[in-house]
Amino acid sequence: MTTAERQPLTISISEGAADHVRDFTKQAGQPNANLRVGVKGGGCSGLTYVLDIVDEPKEDDKVIEDHGLKLFIDRKSYIFLAGTTLEYSGGLNGKGFVFNNPNAKTTCGCGTSFSV
Amino acid sequence: MSTSQLTGLRDGTLSIEDEHYAVREGVGLVDRSAVGRLRITGEDAVDLLDRLSTNQMQGLARGCGLYTVLTNNKGRVVDLIFVLALDGHLLVLTGPDERTKVAEWIDFYTFTEDVSVEDVTDETGQLALVGPKAAVLLEELCGLDVLETYESASVAIAGVEVTVVRTDFLKQPVYEIVLPLDGLDAVREAALSSGLGVAPVGDDTLDLVRIEQGVPAQGRELTEDSNPLEAGLIDHISFNKGCYIGQEVVARLNTYDKVQRGLVGLSWGLDAAPEVGADLFAEDKKVGVLTSTSKSNRLNRGIGLGLVRNAHSEPGVVLVAGSPEGPATVVVEGLPFTSEPS
Repeated sequence: MTTAERQPLTISISEGAADHVRDFTKQAGQPNANLRVGVKGGGCSGLTYVLDIVDEPKEDDKVIEDHGLKLFIDRKSYIFLAGTTLEYSGGLNGKGFVFNNPNAKTTCGCGTSFSV
Repeated sequence: MSTSQLTGLRDGTLSIEDEHYAVREGVGLVDRSAVGRLRITGEDAVDLLDRLSTNQMQGLARGCGLYTVLTNNKGRVVDLIFVLALDGHLLVLTGPDERTKVAEWIDFYTFTEDVSVEDVTDETGQLALVGPKAAVLLEELCGLDVLETYESASVAIAGVEVTVVRTDFLKQPVYEIVLPLDGLDAVREAALSSGLGVAPVGDDTLDLVRIEQGVPAQGRELTEDSNPLEAGLIDHISFNKGCYIGQEVVARLNTYDKVQRGLVGLSWGLDAAPEVGADLFAEDKKVGVLTSTSKSNRLNRGIGLGLVRNAHSEPGVVLVAGSPEGPATVVVEGLPFTSEPS
């Protein structure tokens, strides 16, 4: 899928982030695993991001495929993540996986939690 | 008056002074059924509440409870709740008007966790035994040994299975009895007819004692305009537990000593009657707000609580409370109130 074809309200992953996920799943001995993306209550600002390597979606999960990777998102988390792009910030000073979430009105100092 | 003189006066005709005496020197019985009661189940319940509130919830032993503050992302108070770990569920006591708000707050932040919130307020009741002789009464009623603060026990009183938990929320012995609603009358009658001089106590008296002791209350000192530090809830905050909603703000306020105002006692002559919500002024500059008021015949003055800026919160400082009836002079006092103004 190319950028131009993407629906505006979906969740996407950049090519670089998808490559890092694949590297990670190989190292973890789960080369065919996919990515669970979500949010949970907590963190200074109210909501924190959740990333997990999983094999299968749960019932009622939304499944989005991007850059050869399947993203599984529970329906409630999707409300807070619609429009988000998951990117990867590498290098010594990199932040690792970064959620560019247009729903986040504020983020906490360390950037791991947000409010809507 | 000894507490035994109160025996038999259980028809609601006790004066507020008699009720007050019982609570301070004997034992008073208060119907606290208006407190919100939530039953929270699911294996993630403790973890979720730990992420939503200020105190350290992890490791809460079965049968034990704690106070913790639900805060929003600005570090303001959503509610002060008491969480009790029971067999297979948590019992959460909320503010009297906060049960729906708290249930919805927890539900909003429940995503994929195994957590379920049930409001059991309407099908349960709650009685509080308040005062230094409350433990003696409990031993008489059900053979219960003395509980430590925040400990609970499941016992039978008058054939009714109840949960007794010692919360001491008035900074003196308070045992809350949570029970099925249809057992309320039997337990109340058993307590009042124990022969130990238990006085039925009303909400006004309880509020007077609360103010005398300097205890903040939901909807008064505890609102979404106040943070837990200025409202005097520091004992219910863990500063090393890690993140929870509002933690960054609360930690910064504490670390950099940025708390701008605090909970103070305020007093005035018995003939004055400043109103809750009145702004407090020092030389025409607003420096605080009056949040609770009562009249203490024991202390021979009107007393209240307020949130006042630090520069004006020393005992002895004189402030003016704005009022439609005209300004009233009030004096800052230390907490808890003592016979002689501190």
